[in-house]
Amino acid sequence: MRGVGRVALWTTAGAAAVMLLAFWPEALHACPVCFDRDDEARIAFLATTGLLTLLPLGLVAGVGAWLRKRAGREEEGGRPEDGEGEPRKPGTSGQ
Amino acid sequence: MTAARATVLRFRPRPRKPAKLVSNGVLGMILFVFVEIMLFAGFISAYAIVKARAPGSVWPPPNQPRLPFERTAINTSALVLSGIVLLIAHRLHEKGRPRVAGLLLVATLLGGAFVALQGVEWIALLAEGLTLTSSTFGSLFYTIIGAHALHAVVAICALGWAAARLRAGRLSKEALSTVAIFWYFVVLVWPFLYFQVYL
Repeated sequence: MRGVGRVALWTTAGAAAVMLLAFWPEALHACPVCFDRDDEARIAFLATTGLLTLLPLGLVAGVGAWLRKRAGREEEGGRPEDGEGEPRKPGTSGQ
Repeated sequence: MTAARATVLRFRPRPRKPAKLVSNGVLGMILFVFVEIMLFAGFISAYAIVKARAPGSVWPPPNQPRLPFERTAINTSALVLSGIVLLIAHRLHEKGRPRVAGLLLVATLLGGAFVALQGVEWIALLAEGLTLTSSTFGSLFYTIIGAHALHAVVAICALGWAAARLRAGRLSKEALSTVAIFWYFVVLVWPFLYFQVYL
């Protein structure tokens, strides 16, 4: 338990350090997201940065939620909806 | 001292292995599709930025042909229909219904029609002067749409393989799910490419 508490403390400290880093950068003139003469280009840079940052997080979170839901259904006593993971003998495809 | 020593054998049942939530094939395909989604997200981002920075906001560039938005709608319909047919076949197969091989074949043929129509469209565009080296527009168009077409061809081969195995009665639910996930990805990523590149 003591070890777990230490890990949690380090994790919290690490997360806090990462959050502090968010306040560190300043607007850079070479950064196309911060500065671009063309509004349309700036919006495109901003939107694509957001897309490429959030998309992988969303994908992982989505699959995590789906697996959790399946696990919950499994624990309730029901089988997975599509029978995945069950060994199936060849020649029993329902044909 | 001949007394036999009784040995008590206790029956200890082997611990039950918990059922897998997802088969290895399906999980592997999901992870692979994640990578592919990020690849196409990168393509779409690059295209959006190049389009936004076009001189004078004129896109496509002045000397380049316009993409056939209306004609490609027919290809798009074939692809979407193929996805719907596969979804129905997939659901029926999971419920243990027989005779879904025909539906799988229809989905494969519709996918093949999509790729064939794309090929016809490419030939026309090449004749009009849109090549890989004609402009940034041409390079991006052939890279993005070509990557999608390559994925479609691979997925069609996988669907054909699944249809053949199903006909032989040797297709497991896991195998069909694995192939179907890849095809759903090919179908679902296309509208994003279509509206981003063709519009």
